[in-house]
Amino acid sequence: MDFRLSEEQEALREVARDFLAARWPADKMRAALDAQPALVDDDVWKEIVEMGWLGVAAPEASGGIGGGVVTAAVLAEEAGRGILPGPFLSSLTAALAAESCGDDVLLGEIIEGRSRVALAVEEPGGSWGPDAVCLAATPCDEGWSLSGTKILVRDGQEADVLLVVARAPDGLALLKVPADVPGLARNRMLLMDGQSASELVLEDVRVGSDARLGGGEGGLLEAYEKATVLCAADLLGSAQASLELATEYAKERVQFGRPIGSFQAVSHRLADDLMKLEIGRSLLYGASLALDDRRENASALVSAAKAWLNEAAIAAVESALQIHGGVGFTWEYDVHLHMRRVRCNVACHGDADFHRDRVASHMDAALAAEGSGP
Amino acid sequence: MDLEFSAEDEAYRAKLKVWLAENLGGGKGSVNELMKSATEGGNKDPLAGARVWPRKLWEAGYVGLAWPKAYGGQDASFTEQVICAEELAKARTPPMINTIGLSIIGPTLVQHGTEEQKKRFLPRILRADDLWCQGFSEPEAGSDLASLRCRAELDGDSFVVTGQKVWTSLAPISDWMFLLTRSDPDAPKREGISYLLCDMKTPGITVRPLRNAAGGMHFSEVFLDQVRIPRENLVGELHGGWKIARSSLDHERSGLSGVLALEETLGRLWRMASQIDRGGEKAVEGPTTRRLLAQHWIEIEGLRHLGYRTLSDQIAGAAPGAGSSVGKLFASDLRSRMARTGLRIEGPLAQVAKRSPHVIDRGRWHAAYFDALGHAIGGGTSEIMRGVIAEKVLGLPRATED
Repeated sequence: MDFRLSEEQEALREVARDFLAARWPADKMRAALDAQPALVDDDVWKEIVEMGWLGVAAPEASGGIGGGVVTAAVLAEEAGRGILPGPFLSSLTAALAAESCGDDVLLGEIIEGRSRVALAVEEPGGSWGPDAVCLAATPCDEGWSLSGTKILVRDGQEADVLLVVARAPDGLALLKVPADVPGLARNRMLLMDGQSASELVLEDVRVGSDARLGGGEGGLLEAYEKATVLCAADLLGSAQASLELATEYAKERVQFGRPIGSFQAVSHRLADDLMKLEIGRSLLYGASLALDDRRENASALVSAAKAWLNEAAIAAVESALQIHGGVGFTWEYDVHLHMRRVRCNVACHGDADFHRDRVASHMDAALAAEGSGP
Repeated sequence: MDLEFSAEDEAYRAKLKVWLAENLGGGKGSVNELMKSATEGGNKDPLAGARVWPRKLWEAGYVGLAWPKAYGGQDASFTEQVICAEELAKARTPPMINTIGLSIIGPTLVQHGTEEQKKRFLPRILRADDLWCQGFSEPEAGSDLASLRCRAELDGDSFVVTGQKVWTSLAPISDWMFLLTRSDPDAPKREGISYLLCDMKTPGITVRPLRNAAGGMHFSEVFLDQVRIPRENLVGELHGGWKIARSSLDHERSGLSGVLALEETLGRLWRMASQIDRGGEKAVEGPTTRRLLAQHWIEIEGLRHLGYRTLSDQIAGAAPGAGSSVGKLFASDLRSRMARTGLRIEGPLAQVAKRSPHVIDRGRWHAAYFDALGHAIGGGTSEIMRGVIAEKVLGLPRATED
């Protein structure tokens, strides 16, 4: 029984935090809101790859660090805190997907930075997740023919390979699609936080039969759970940073002759935000560990973490904006950068009701198994 | 990270489960049997039946787990404490009448009591020989506890205490009261308070039960008129009672046993929602109710994993993190939310009185509702707890001057 991060994990967190604070100033993110979507500079990206961050979860045998989802969540949290744009999280998400679906070659290429890979799940239609996938994978002479549309593919515009979730005759499938394949059109979708995403339109795109990853539907669903957990970790990082900004400001800002943090309307709001984030932190690492340990309630815990952090993070960034007053509402201040990122992540991989419905389905099964009776 | 208990811990759990199964059944020698026979045969102690269970549990080694063996405790590990609390919460056990002694004054004496006090009081708390009540709040000293006025004047070898206490739970059946008194009226308010132990049979004590909003008789007013308390019943230093009272409020727990109670409540809510009709379908099939119940599942898992963090800190001997301070407040809020959900699922029938034959679930949700709202007041209001989190964890400036 030890539900604490290890010394190594805490050390990695510190390294990541210092590195991002030094190498990725928030001003670059601000600039991206008016110009091209933000991607980290090539030299920063190179260092991130060299530090092995993309292999943080993968087993050592596959060229990774062997930290599992828990350690990946630590880095995703720091990316959220540091307002780090792509392609770090999209690449880490793709690495976890390659691992879940047993493609060691692709995993190695991602970890070593030889290939930029983006996971394409969501489609038009207003919902989220593999269940809502319509994009068809039809068997053909070469292997597979793919037709359909993907949206909100993070860093899809810059990817060399797209990991496309499709519906094959025998169930959901994950297929590798080279970015330059005929029949694939990529259109940029600008995100409100300055990050890059794509719409992919596939019209009879042909890929070989070896393009389909293994692991079956189970591997694919696991990949989506991991993507969701990283998104939740990102939310926690932004929210925690916002809470800290607001708390520091409340200590310093004097009105009516007192620091505003001494007023209960302010301090109780921050105490509530802290409470929500501590619950969210507990759920996030509980869900990450459950994925690593392959517990049967892992998917319900993932949904719990995402549903909870969606709402807790919004509360924290809105408090930060409100407590900073007019200053917080300026372009130069960082609060809106966190708010934009949180607003994007909240709508990414399922909103709170989407995940509450998934938890309710889990309860249906769990309580039926328990046997009902008054 | 791992959330597994060790093989030794699981063996401990298995042994406890066997013991519980053997003793909680209805057969000969079972607790139920003993409780019935305790009050027969002209026993003058009206609480004889109620003492059976705590005493039996102690004899088996499942009470006072955190306390030293020298005073009847178990010196048990943190994981054993959690496992024991969990299994007791899962089993349908009779109530423990000595909870206040076990959870508040006992740990305080372990930490701050003299050797004589520990030897004299701790074993009697464990065996449920002595029941205790708490004399902290006063009519003019609620959330602002440090402004209490109950006067204690040193006169030779004893204190003479005069004043009034209020919201004192279980006062009429208590043998002892631990109380805070104003021993130095001239000192700053937190520096003139002494922590005393008072025999409830001492002349000058009047207990007047108060009926609470839910209709129950759980707490009382206690009037003290020239009550003599021997000086040996002072806990800690003269005028040093405030810090001791604060430390007794700080006995952080992982709260994991409370999680099991909430889990059981959620199971009840789900079953009720599966049986009650709402607009042509079962309530549990409607999206609003489903999501509300799912939200409670999420909240309970959040609290459970927060508890694992606190427990892990305790095991490692690390200072409790930010998490432990918010657990109590969150649990208290969650209890209220779940009770509200119960009344909401009842729908129109939520109006029906408990004693009406038409009431659902024997009025459980009304009781749970009042109980939860009471919990948000007793033992430090939610507002006071938010203030403590703001000050101690976030480091925000205090709202008040003193």
